[in-house]
Amino acid sequence: MNNLTTLSYFIFLLPLFSFLINGLFLKSSYRKTAGFISVILNGFAAFIAIYLSYVYFASGIAPGRMILWENNFLVFSSSLKASIGLLLDPLSAMMLVVITFISFVVNIYSIGYMKEDRSTTRFFSFLSLFTFSMLGLVVAPNLFQMFFFWELVGISSYLLIGFWYEKPGAVSASKQAFILTRFADSFFLLGIVLASYIIGSFDFFALNTLSLADFLDEINLGIISISKAQALFVSSILIFIGGWGKSAMFPMHIWLPNAMEGPTPVSSIIHSATMVVAGVYLVARLFPFFSLFSDTLSLIMTVGIFTALFAAVIACTQKDIKRILAFSTLSQLGYMMFALGSTSVLINGEMAINTLGYSASIFHIFTHAFFKCMLFLIAGSLIHAVHHNDLDSMGGLGKKMPWTYAAALIGCLAISGIPPFSGFFSKDEILIAALQGKHFIVFGLALLTSGLTAFYMFRFFFLAFHGNARSVHTAHVKESFSMTLPIVILAIPSFLGGYLFKKVFLKFFTPGYIPTSNVSESLHSANWVPFAAAIIALIGIFLAWVFYARPYANVKKALDETNRKTFYKWIYHKFYFDEIYYAFVRQFIFKGVAATIRFFEDYVVGGAVKGSVFIIKKAGELVREAQSGFAPFYIGTLIVGLLLWRFLGNLPV
Amino acid sequence: MIHFLIPDLLLLILPFLIVVSRIFSSKRSLIPWYVAFLGLITIFVLLNCITVGETQLFLSNWKVDRFGILMREFLVLAALMGISFSKDYFNHTSDFTPRMHQLSEFMGTVIMATFGGVVVISASDLLTFFIGLELATIPMYALTAWNKKDSEGSEAATKYILMGSVATAFELFGFSYLYGFSGSMHFTDIAASVLINPSSPLLWISVLFLLSGIGFKLTLFPFHTWAPDVYEGAPTPVTAILSVTSKAVAISFVTVLVFGPLNGVKEQMAPFLALLAGTTLFVGNLGALKQYKLRRFMAYSSISQAGYLLIALLGPYEFALSSIVYYLFIYAFSNFLTFFIFGVIERNRPETFDSLRGLSKESPILAVALVIALFSLAGIPPLAGFLGKFQLFYSAAQNHHYVLITFAILNNVLALYYYIQLIKSAWVEPADPTAYRLIVNLRQKVWIIILSVAILLGAILPFLNDNIFKIINY
Repeated sequence: MNNLTTLSYFIFLLPLFSFLINGLFLKSSYRKTAGFISVILNGFAAFIAIYLSYVYFASGIAPGRMILWENNFLVFSSSLKASIGLLLDPLSAMMLVVITFISFVVNIYSIGYMKEDRSTTRFFSFLSLFTFSMLGLVVAPNLFQMFFFWELVGISSYLLIGFWYEKPGAVSASKQAFILTRFADSFFLLGIVLASYIIGSFDFFALNTLSLADFLDEINLGIISISKAQALFVSSILIFIGGWGKSAMFPMHIWLPNAMEGPTPVSSIIHSATMVVAGVYLVARLFPFFSLFSDTLSLIMTVGIFTALFAAVIACTQKDIKRILAFSTLSQLGYMMFALGSTSVLINGEMAINTLGYSASIFHIFTHAFFKCMLFLIAGSLIHAVHHNDLDSMGGLGKKMPWTYAAALIGCLAISGIPPFSGFFSKDEILIAALQGKHFIVFGLALLTSGLTAFYMFRFFFLAFHGNARSVHTAHVKESFSMTLPIVILAIPSFLGGYLFKKVFLKFFTPGYIPTSNVSESLHSANWVPFAAAIIALIGIFLAWVFYARPYANVKKALDETNRKTFYKWIYHKFYFDEIYYAFVRQFIFKGVAATIRFFEDYVVGGAVKGSVFIIKKAGELVREAQSGFAPFYIGTLIVGLLLWRFLGNLPV
Repeated sequence: MIHFLIPDLLLLILPFLIVVSRIFSSKRSLIPWYVAFLGLITIFVLLNCITVGETQLFLSNWKVDRFGILMREFLVLAALMGISFSKDYFNHTSDFTPRMHQLSEFMGTVIMATFGGVVVISASDLLTFFIGLELATIPMYALTAWNKKDSEGSEAATKYILMGSVATAFELFGFSYLYGFSGSMHFTDIAASVLINPSSPLLWISVLFLLSGIGFKLTLFPFHTWAPDVYEGAPTPVTAILSVTSKAVAISFVTVLVFGPLNGVKEQMAPFLALLAGTTLFVGNLGALKQYKLRRFMAYSSISQAGYLLIALLGPYEFALSSIVYYLFIYAFSNFLTFFIFGVIERNRPETFDSLRGLSKESPILAVALVIALFSLAGIPPLAGFLGKFQLFYSAAQNHHYVLITFAILNNVLALYYYIQLIKSAWVEPADPTAYRLIVNLRQKVWIIILSVAILLGAILPFLNDNIFKIINY
């Protein structure tokens, strides 16, 4: 295995070199060289990663864990050490392949996409920095290294969202993303401090193999004394909050749609395929630890399913194609989250773990990465072609961009869960897992979400590619090679990934040490679920076709949000049924449900944020006004402060 | 063998050497500058050569221990950065009028204050302790008023000295009660009496006054009111020195006190310390939110950093001390880096956020260094500031102060918000075409690069941090 260790260093070093060369040594005028270096180095990294994981899976060690290398990094005390290393297990091997491969593809795409940009070298160096930090995150054998790279990933995301810093929208979006995820990360950090103090280790292995019976003695948390097991429960919630923010679950989702201000390749790699799944990855990585606490799992499930449904409803109303995809990403992340949470099963009053949810969730990370990355790249191509983000200015692009059109069809079918496309297999397992866990409400909502997903994805598909052109730009659209090649490459795993890898995932992707029994065999198999899911998805597609692509469909009316008169005119109108459809869709779904949700989003979530900002601002003013500049007042504060602390200081006098 | 005293003696002699060399050289001669610079470097090297053994005592009231050696290294390094930063303010500009005069006396005063800090760390009785503190503070008053023609500087110095005197009175009052309570000036005797009678009112009145008095120097809430005015009014190099050296002396005063004579009542003091730390870092963060003047902003930022430093004291001895030393080093690097950048900017521009506009285009090195410094102050990995903060929190976690840690970590988000405002000015906002060009000389460039690299590598190469931990522990 020595060979592998040496090779594995290169997976990290190559993107790092690419970052350093592009960032430090290359002049900004060498644009083509920058792209070339990035593509070559990241391509080699992807090749090594694929080879490494092939050897790993073929060697018979899988699904066992192995540490290829580990060095001491920080010594906090003789017992508590933070190390830096490379952990190889099925989860990290899969992520290594996904990240390096997608990074390679996106780098190729960026050559075409960023051709006209002035600071291409900066872009490629940041992109490689991101790849490097993301790789460091997924192979971390301990919490400390994970947090380290977790933040580094956040910084590279901040740099890339704000890449076009001339745009005020991009700057405020990058700031919002950074600060909001930092807010969540502060809980994560707190959870790390708490857990590592109680367990005496940062190691995932120690966290994942502990048994609560060893932690019954009391610990004082400053205000209350609870048993160490309960304190670990608190820390599991705190650690989950870190993933909550990073994966943009409700209500911390607001940064993700705004992050679409960044260049599209960035949205494609960071804000759909890799970085945002870090939260799901965190839960998966620590799954045996989380599974000790069924309440934490329930929380994960609730947050996940709510986000899945909520984001899917919003996605139906968006016109900006990147935002549609962003909300779709949120919804799919919700899917992965709730799959992890729905693993807890009650059997005869005792909690057990159904590992199907775990492997389904990771399977969905895998399939989703490819088709969502591809869909974003397609969106980028469309935007590049018509110079506009809105569906208003697209339409009829299918004939102009045949390759993109075919790929988009594959992507939309995959995300909708139509067999035999990749999304079908993973989504299907998630649904079965939810059903087996007897989480019937969650199962129902998930089915509904799956229908909505098919609807909004095909709404996007039909409006962009079918019908008549609605913009003058569409007249001279053509596909460029470097932007179409990655899309075609990604279409292959999007099409076949599910079918080919299903067995691998079911065989190897088990969470490892689980304190309670694995119960998937004892549960009834639900053969009807795949059919139900596919039928619901087909209904969604059919509805989208009826509204947006049927011959004589009034696309203009369907897109028009301002025209309210239809509601009053619908009886007199010729297309009687049409009007019912439109009226129903617009007045009920768009204006009713979606408006309520949007209201909730704007006023409740936004209001809470605004409220706390307001309070902090006022308090800040108070501090500044106290700074009057009068020396007698200042000396007074000394005396008053002394008296204040006399009474507030908890002194035993 | 008293070889461990050599660096201290050299540090004491150095100010006089500088002033004497000034007398025997011409007016524009660089000899005093070289004497100071090389002298400090020599002392730093000597300090590193001292083998750290057991605690050494000289004449029963001069103590040299491992923490003391590390803090000496820190103080000497801070003085070195301080005088390097000041040098440009004494140089002749194109119109032959330097912004400040009498470099050698200035450097002598700075080094005298540094020696005061060394006395505080070495003290093992109340009298030495007090003399050290005053020796570290009085030169600061003089430095604040260094520009005699500058009325703002004089106003700042007046406020500083008035409030400083009240704070000194508090401290003396506390000392007198401590003496009355234990009947001895020596720390070991006081510690013994504290153990015997831990709930005596005399003791607690003295604790209250001592912490309030040092709260002034450490800029704890509500004794921080002088800091924004003085930081803004004093000459910029003095602000930098105040924010690092003065703060380091004050925190080592509290450390010596808490882990020395008052060790027996540390547990009972913890809620009070936690309250001081929490309010201070919150008020500092709130104050920094809407500032537009660079140094006033740094004043509030350093107030909140003092609150963070205090958190470490809640932990056990070895964690508290190693995290404080590490944090002070990183804080000094980040703070001086920021001040070096501000120094370049305020040379011919007003000292506001607006002067930073277009920095990324005009001088990418400065803009990148500013990001490194501010992100380190905000505690973002992989910069050293994160590691420093993590260790502070970890130290407090040893004694279960999770409420305070939660509060401090959430405050970090607030801090990030205002540091990003500054970065936004430097990176996003378009340049002001009428602003004067920035001039970066070689010394500034070298220091900016050294400090940026130190902050970057301080976390990635962990030997610095490991060494501190090992020195304190083994």
